[in-house]
Amino acid sequence: MSDQKVFARYKANEIVTDLQHFGVKKFKSNITRRKNALRKIIANLVLGNYGEMSLLFSELLKFWQIEDDLEVKRICHEYIRVIGALKPQQAREALPFIMDDFKSRDEKLQIMALRTLVLVPVKELSDQAFDCIISLVNHKSPPEQVTRTAIYALLDLDEIDHERVLGLSSILHDIVKAQSSSPEVIVAALHTLYSIHEKNANMEPFRIPLELAFDMLELLPELNEWNKATVLEVLTTSVVPQHYLDTHEMIELALPYLQQVNTYVVLNSLKFIMYLLNYVDVIKETLAEKLSNSVIALLDKPPELQFLVLRNVILLLLSRESSLLRLDISYFFIEYNDPIYIKDTKLECLYLLANKETLPRILEELEQYATDIDIQMSRKSVRAIGNLAVKLDEDSVHDCVAVLLDLLEFGVDYVVQEIISVFRNILRKYPNNFKANVTELVKHTEVVQEPESKNAMIWIITQYSDVIPNYLELFRVFSSNMFSETLEVQFSILNSAIKFFIRSPTKETEELCMDLLKGCIDHENNPDLRDKTLMYWRLLSLTKTSRISNAITFESLKSVLDGELPLIEMNTKLDPTVLEELELNIGTIVSIYLKPVSHIFRLNKTKLLPQSPILNPNKDLLPVVGNSFPPTGANRDRQNSESQSSTKSRKTAMMDDYDKPAEKINQLKGKRKSSSNNPSKLSRKPSTLLRKLSMKRPFS
Amino acid sequence: MSSSLFILDENLEPLVSKNIRALPNLSSVLSSFKQCYHDGSPPILSQNDWFFIHLKRDFLHFVSVIHTTDKPNIDLMTILAFLEQFYHLLQKYFEIEVLTKNVILDNILLVLELIDECIDFGIVQVTDPSIIKDYIRVKVNVPRVTVDNEEWSPGEESSSSSGSDSDSEYSNTNKRKDKKKKRKKKKGTKGKSVGKSNLKSIMVNNKENRGINVVETVKETLRNKNDTGKEAANDELPNDGNDLYINGDIAKTIIMPISWRTKGIHYAKNEFFLDVIERVQYLMDFEKGVIRKNLIHGEIVCRCYLSGMPKLKISINKILNRDPQFMSNSSFHQCVSLDSINTIEKEEEKNSDDDAGLQAATDAREIEFIPPDGEFVLCQYELKRHVKDAPMVRLKDFEIKPKLKKFKIQIVTKIQTNFKPTNSTSKLNVRIPLTKVFQEYKIDLSKQIRFKANIGKVVFNLSDDFLLWEIQTMKGHREHSTNKSSQYNSDEDDPNTCASMVAEFPLFNQEEYDRLQEEMKTSMNPPPLRTGPRLEELYRQVHDQQTSHVTPRDKLVNIDFEIPYCTCSGLKVEYLKVEEPQLQYQSFPWVRYKTVSDEEYAYIV
Repeated sequence: MSDQKVFARYKANEIVTDLQHFGVKKFKSNITRRKNALRKIIANLVLGNYGEMSLLFSELLKFWQIEDDLEVKRICHEYIRVIGALKPQQAREALPFIMDDFKSRDEKLQIMALRTLVLVPVKELSDQAFDCIISLVNHKSPPEQVTRTAIYALLDLDEIDHERVLGLSSILHDIVKAQSSSPEVIVAALHTLYSIHEKNANMEPFRIPLELAFDMLELLPELNEWNKATVLEVLTTSVVPQHYLDTHEMIELALPYLQQVNTYVVLNSLKFIMYLLNYVDVIKETLAEKLSNSVIALLDKPPELQFLVLRNVILLLLSRESSLLRLDISYFFIEYNDPIYIKDTKLECLYLLANKETLPRILEELEQYATDIDIQMSRKSVRAIGNLAVKLDEDSVHDCVAVLLDLLEFGVDYVVQEIISVFRNILRKYPNNFKANVTELVKHTEVVQEPESKNAMIWIITQYSDVIPNYLELFRVFSSNMFSETLEVQFSILNSAIKFFIRSPTKETEELCMDLLKGCIDHENNPDLRDKTLMYWRLLSLTKTSRISNAITFESLKSVLDGELPLIEMNTKLDPTVLEELELNIGTIVSIYLKPVSHIFRLNKTKLLPQSPILNPNKDLLPVVGNSFPPTGANRDRQNSESQSSTKSRKTAMMDDYDKPAEKINQLKGKRKSSSNNPSKLSRKPSTLLRKLSMKRPFS
Repeated sequence: MSSSLFILDENLEPLVSKNIRALPNLSSVLSSFKQCYHDGSPPILSQNDWFFIHLKRDFLHFVSVIHTTDKPNIDLMTILAFLEQFYHLLQKYFEIEVLTKNVILDNILLVLELIDECIDFGIVQVTDPSIIKDYIRVKVNVPRVTVDNEEWSPGEESSSSSGSDSDSEYSNTNKRKDKKKKRKKKKGTKGKSVGKSNLKSIMVNNKENRGINVVETVKETLRNKNDTGKEAANDELPNDGNDLYINGDIAKTIIMPISWRTKGIHYAKNEFFLDVIERVQYLMDFEKGVIRKNLIHGEIVCRCYLSGMPKLKISINKILNRDPQFMSNSSFHQCVSLDSINTIEKEEEKNSDDDAGLQAATDAREIEFIPPDGEFVLCQYELKRHVKDAPMVRLKDFEIKPKLKKFKIQIVTKIQTNFKPTNSTSKLNVRIPLTKVFQEYKIDLSKQIRFKANIGKVVFNLSDDFLLWEIQTMKGHREHSTNKSSQYNSDEDDPNTCASMVAEFPLFNQEEYDRLQEEMKTSMNPPPLRTGPRLEELYRQVHDQQTSHVTPRDKLVNIDFEIPYCTCSGLKVEYLKVEEPQLQYQSFPWVRYKTVSDEEYAYIV
């Protein structure tokens, strides 16, 4: 039978007629009808038909009293949980029934009742919940299932009444310490304690003594997969090893869980081991291999999980100067049926993995993607090639440029535009290596349409006007319709016109320059553009007058307006403190965005590596092969203390830019003058901004 | 953890909503999800201070909602892993491959109960289907037609409930088949006398009386024979709460050390089935002769019908030989005590120091575990194959030969097998893309297309532009290094080991066309009668609008095959011991191997 007719909006009185049949006699058909009516209630709650359904409260209570069928009970509890939040009065009226259920001997019912008590945000109910939990705990041999639920419930109750939960926490400590209850209950207690500590900003971070940690680790084989993961998660940052031996032993114990099927367990053990690696003297080669293998095994999962894993791979790759992971790049080659978010992430992994040896293969792949049918994909891969050229050393850049020039012949609009945009960056880094190719590039002047590639094109034309014979002609393509361009492009055009004039003050350039300046002042409404134009105007007129007053020479003007540009390079990696924090948060939402916790959740504590005499000051110095490396026992010089990050209203606005690479080119626009080395212009990009912020504001 | 969970249908309308943190207004939360969701958006989205973590499976969206202030640092992987597992749980529970909206709607209470059972205040507790099935025994409300628990692969085995006579599809005239049939019948007659008396009160509907409401758990079908005394009373409400009765023992299993197996399981015949399935992923650039991918995704799937608390010992040659790749790239079910494998490695390290420990090490080279009841995946592994390892089925020759003078174009394809001659494929399909050919040449479909294959048959797919060459059975073949030339010659002739196919498409002949048109104008004869479908018109209909691009898929010659009794990696189960110290019964372990092609087994041409 199909229940679909149940799943429609009903009026309260329609259901009431169904329900009232129960008075007559206990016929089978009536039972069926009643149950169907109850199902309709649940369906309507799902559909959000709360108003009508709350009218049925009194009818439902009648059932609650007489029925002992679990399904009916379940519906009643579900009903109260939904309606109770909206109508506290009704929840209060239902309280005696809930308590009846709690007092019953059926564990399932007890659990159900307890959950309802906790979930309905009404004071009377929460008070009752506390009483129930206390009575449970004082019970001599409490049923384990119920105890477990009760312990987890404390976590929710903590939000309602922190003080009372704190009073109970000593009991939890006892449970964890005694190790006599069933493992499930111990894990529950451990988790609740940990979470309460995490949640409340004013509490100390949760710490577990070493022996207890070993006990827990030895308990692992007996636990089910979810609990295994929970334990591993709690142990990260909670246990502070004091000797290298302890650390190694713990790693040994956690190592087998890298081979579990469940992603959650694997990532958590990965996190735990990565955490412990801050407290070792040497890293064994086999360990690094195992870590890499487990990461690779994780890539063979459904796309959503794969996405998560890939993001974490990026994090791990960023985290060390020479990464621990040995990953073959072929795992990150893009497949045509990958979802777009996987493709993006893989592209970034490829970018990070690129070095001298792998470059040819990566370039070959990227070239393929660039001719892909998917426009976004091909743009991104062109961009990746350009970024690689800037990132790697001078030998590799020629390979990258060769590929780009190949693609240029491919001749599709968007590819060409993208190539021109990235070529600007390459020329910024290697101003003199590719002069010969510039003429090739400017052949495509007509094609460029997007603001960014227009900007790039204008910059290239301006910068290499000495090798382009017809540069003014090319420039006029842009300048002729300056007033219909976007602001960015207008700035570029204006800049270039001035530069041309400064370089060779002929009549032609002067006319061009003056036309643009006049045009901007007369026709443009944008104050920024007008200001800038006026500034140029005055500068130029200053030189005219300077012949008399000697205030500013033409040469100095030239150096102001058309000076040497500094070489660009890739942004340095994420701030070490941020990285440290991210590494402790493998697998969490932070790892997706690669941003510190405080940027995403304003009120949260940030995790920190706890102090220990064996904490490594610099993980890049950690030897990977097991030779005897004298550990430097010095404490890490930490510039930040344990302080709650001020709730400076930091918008979580740029949350959706996970598809942007964490590391990107510092894009100094050609139009900006390098001579005025103002740092503010550097911080236009979110990633640099982030770095700045993170420097200013210590992450505790 | 999550604040609430949703299961949505294709149009993002809620089917199930579960409020975990008593959020006041779920529908507004949902509408913000609708705002930010679009096709192909990544699994995590944020909108108005809400985070949405979603999985799309079949036609359903599984969404978990979290508020930014909820819990420090959302543990994303728990939620994603949980949603994934929960989906599998539902699949197992309903015993269907594809979940649909209707199945969820019909079982809304059950789904709510499952969520309740799986998570405790948002913290995941247990998702193991075999355990929960013992714990929650609600009637699954599934239309009978969709009941279909294909266990091995589509089309091979039909569900146990639809009778034992339909499994003859497995067409190999092998003694294996007999075994299987026997097993199938056994399933029906196998009695499972339940150890505890109170368990007996668990009502199970009789298969015949079941009507549309079907209980599909295998175990319950097994109990049928025992509980003949009781009959399903009513279609819709068969046992009125009796089935909800919880056995105290079962309830406790969740918190016992061995959480994956209940006590008191009993089977009349004790059997253990172990299937090694290897999917081979292979991608080669045919022109350049470069192998892009050569991987094996292996899986050991077990079905356990053993009584009591049996302890199994399995020895796999890979572990025995300490194949380093296997050791590091395999992951095991939670029941396998991973220490047992790890100790091997430790011993190995010790061994290098002293040879005395050698004996101990050989003893430890096996997997030891207490299996869960029913079906489970024991082990998953991924192996890389060496570039020099020849593929199981090799595309030997692929050529497009235009014969412009004759106005014809030929596509020549040859494939060769490369595995033990004693084995043979049970399925072998080659898919040859034609999009490129159709784009580059003007093909005249009004004339006849000719196919010639020395084995199998060729089908032309007009709408998607590909040829499907179906070769059912093909014998294995190994190239011998000795007397290579003679071998080569004999290969050519032997259709069993080297299959070749030629497809010939006529090209459009302008001259002839003009001439015919001219003749038509002048001649009085009616145009020649044509029978059969007019392919050119059909082709035009299908390819009307879309200006077809050459997608990467159109460059792939896909080979889809299945080879029973053979593993590509050479993995072999050396022995399989079942020990139950208390009951000491005789048990029947069955081991099977199979190699199949992965979705991606292709040559780029």
